[in-house]
Amino acid sequence: MEYELRDHTADVAVAATGDTLEAVFAAVADGLAAASCDDVPVDVGDRFTVSVTAESREALLFDFLDELIYLRDVREALPVDHRVETIDELGSEGWRLEASAREVPLDEVDAREVKAVTYSEMRLEQTDEGWESYVVFDV
Amino acid sequence: MTTFDADGVTLERVREYVWEIPQEEGMRVPARILASEALLEEISEDKTIEQIKNTTHLPGITNHAICMPDGHQGYGFPVGGVGALDAEDGCISPGAVGYDINCGVRMMRTNLTYDEVQGHEEELVDSLFANVPSGLGGGGIVEAGVDTVDEILARGVDWALEHGHAVEEDLLHCEDEGMREGADPDKVSQKAKDRGKNQIGSLGSGNHFLEVQRVTDVFDDEVGAAFGLEEDQIVVLIHCGSRGLGHQTCNDYLRKIEQQHKGLLDRLPDKELAAAPAGSQLAEDYYGAMNAAINFAWVNRQLIMHRTRKVFERVFDRSWESMEMDLLYDVAHNIAKKEMHTVNGAERELYVHRKGATRAFPAGHPEVPKAYRDVGQPVIIPGSMGAGSYVLRGGENSMDLTFGSTAHGAGRLMSRTQAKNEYWGGDVQQELEDQQQIYVKAQSGATVAEEAPGVYKDVDEVVRVSDELGIGDKVARTFPVCNIKG
Repeated sequence: MEYELRDHTADVAVAATGDTLEAVFAAVADGLAAASCDDVPVDVGDRFTVSVTAESREALLFDFLDELIYLRDVREALPVDHRVETIDELGSEGWRLEASAREVPLDEVDAREVKAVTYSEMRLEQTDEGWESYVVFDV
Repeated sequence: MTTFDADGVTLERVREYVWEIPQEEGMRVPARILASEALLEEISEDKTIEQIKNTTHLPGITNHAICMPDGHQGYGFPVGGVGALDAEDGCISPGAVGYDINCGVRMMRTNLTYDEVQGHEEELVDSLFANVPSGLGGGGIVEAGVDTVDEILARGVDWALEHGHAVEEDLLHCEDEGMREGADPDKVSQKAKDRGKNQIGSLGSGNHFLEVQRVTDVFDDEVGAAFGLEEDQIVVLIHCGSRGLGHQTCNDYLRKIEQQHKGLLDRLPDKELAAAPAGSQLAEDYYGAMNAAINFAWVNRQLIMHRTRKVFERVFDRSWESMEMDLLYDVAHNIAKKEMHTVNGAERELYVHRKGATRAFPAGHPEVPKAYRDVGQPVIIPGSMGAGSYVLRGGENSMDLTFGSTAHGAGRLMSRTQAKNEYWGGDVQQELEDQQQIYVKAQSGATVAEEAPGVYKDVDEVVRVSDELGIGDKVARTFPVCNIKG
């Protein structure tokens, strides 16, 4: 699983790949953390869990990233080192994700504000090697 | 006819500075770009043209989708975009308003001259930086419970007045007197309120800033006098928005549209243009929530401005009233507003979406505050931290050409990632101080690099085009003295 920050005139885009759907979700989330902070401290902060449910895979990715930005603001801590444990299809109820991340208190890190995840140009696609995704964040 | 070719799209020159993209399949109206050839060259380098074309797919779009001279690629709608959508059979688009609802700028006058401030710049920039929360997680000027957030959402600057963060005169120099009608706090989610409650009175980061400036030029003496501006005078410019509360509100509604109006969404070329049909419950709900977020942003800028008055009191050892620190005006950049416009001779109610564009109503328009009705609405256009900013007044052609709008800033030229490769924050800061006597203080060196003067378009050219088109006329130019940012 890996990610790359891509050029975008006003904002920041993350391009990510992963062997599995879980891995690509985690890679995009790590890209979001990298867009917020150049040097993520290694041994600071505890892990916490996140669960998200949505009606489709793309909506699940959107809501997952939206939840991370929301949690950053209300807990005043930057979520980093993402692990997506499971992504399950629930039939008619849509999709559910269980994940965890480490939270670094904002006063211990030189971080910038990513305002929001956007649907603009968003891609989440299965490839021969696994999954790839492209997400633009509003900065 | 003169044309301009940009990556497979041919733009036709309608008149000087007005370029039109003819209608093609899916476009309900033509698109227009207002620019000089130099600005058009820059605009055509990213996806701005594609995005302004996409905007013309929105139902109810009237006359043209219009890109201002400072336009650049955004998400869905381009930054610098104006789209007037019919309020009866069109739609309202949270994506076309943008995440930072009522991101905007206000300017406060003082009676200080540059001479009086010289020698105090470091103390001033340090004190502003220490007292005005900025960056990520810096808290706000007031810590509030959800009840307070609800009051702010409903009442706007009137709440600030009651709690000693404003004076009566501040309300009279703000659009809608600082209180948007039709704000409905119940339509703003708990999540949005939770994000907002510890951010009331905070700049945030990115391109937001507070700048002490000096007036370098007054181009129009009569209007300059009406705005209370003269050369060498010190003014303060504040640029920020509705913080996490606004960002969350936008995404909450994008998702609701996706779930409730998928039919309309599937017909649009970019999911980020998500719109709720006029007359639907969701359109009403979003309008109530957006108006509430507009109030929140006004209170945010008001608290920062009032705190700035207190900082000046300490640094210059006299009362803010004696320094005549009065609000000149407050303009919104990301907003949709129900307005009456004349379209083909008939009056129509439109949701005018301005994303990275400023309302610029001309003299005589009933919605211009009384204080400025004879000269036109003040328009404040911030430049980068190494270039001038401008004060304009709504021009007499704005109602015909742009639904009463003009540009909102210099407009970005270079991506943030590229900026960080080209510039180092510390160097940028030192150069500004050594060469231009501009004192900058930021939470993050990366922010300084990303906002380096070289990443922006030439604000002088943007303003020149606005002035030549008669949509926003040049009144005065200011230049930075101190700048704080996130």
